Amino acid sequence: MKDLVEFIAKALVDQPEQVSVERLEDNYAITLELRVAPEDMGKVIGKQGRIAKAIRTVVNAAAVNEKKRVLVDIVQ
Amino acid sequence: MRTVETSGKTVEEATQKALEDLGVSAEHALVEIITESSPGLFGIIGSKQARVRVTEKMSPEHYLSEFLQTVITHMGIAGQVEPVVTDENLRFNINGQRMGMLIGKRGQTLNALQYLLNVAYHKKFPGEGHRVILDVEDYREKREQTLRNLAINLANKAIHFRKEVVLEPMNPQERRIIHTTLQDNASVGTYSQGEEPYRKVVIAPK
Repeated sequence: MKDLVEFIAKALVDQPEQVSVERLEDNYAITLELRVAPEDMGKVIGKQGRIAKAIRTVVNAAAVNEKKRVLVDIVQ
Repeated sequence: MRTVETSGKTVEEATQKALEDLGVSAEHALVEIITESSPGLFGIIGSKQARVRVTEKMSPEHYLSEFLQTVITHMGIAGQVEPVVTDENLRFNINGQRMGMLIGKRGQTLNALQYLLNVAYHKKFPGEGHRVILDVEDYREKREQTLRNLAINLANKAIHFRKEVVLEPMNPQERRIIHTTLQDNASVGTYSQGEEPYRKVVIAPK
């Protein structure tokens, strides 16, 4: 799941070496925190959040294998 | 395109190292020799290392096939990606198990993945104008047939009740199917209203 987000993000940004994903888990959900270079923020969010939404849709589809909800947060 | 420069005892050795760094095979790379190696005297004095510049050379369909394959593998899906290239489209069909998971409700996962594929394509190959289409086990073809039937049924309804019929929100490709299905129907006209991603087709009796 973490690798999925990382792989997609790296394909979209100018600085793939600055992409990192951290997996946090509590009782209710798994949160994947995606970090990219500040100049690349727009590349993973997109106009009106379209790219971020598409990433979340793909991750949610993959999340049927998990027992918890999987959230993708883009953090600075 | 990514490029690396490497040195080695021979041109072959330097090239091999560069290919490993790039993670591509020789057929997908362009090798330029900067300096040839020379053994020098006794292999010590005046010996020169070979230096090469290797550029990754990948066709869009190859790049996108690998991208897709990696994404679905990370999603835990076993599937085969099969590219079909036409003049204006790069089309990818995926066949395998658990394809429903890849399609999602009303194709939303498939459309999200197709969108990401388009973004990655335009990022990697700027200026190339193909449209990337993603399909899973003929889902789009079946969906097109469903939408055509829907368009015809709702057009009849609009004529019968002399009222406009508003369809559910659809993406541009799906809206176009509705418009083209009804463009030769003299009794109704179609137009779209609202803003993406909630734009809807309206069928109006004439």
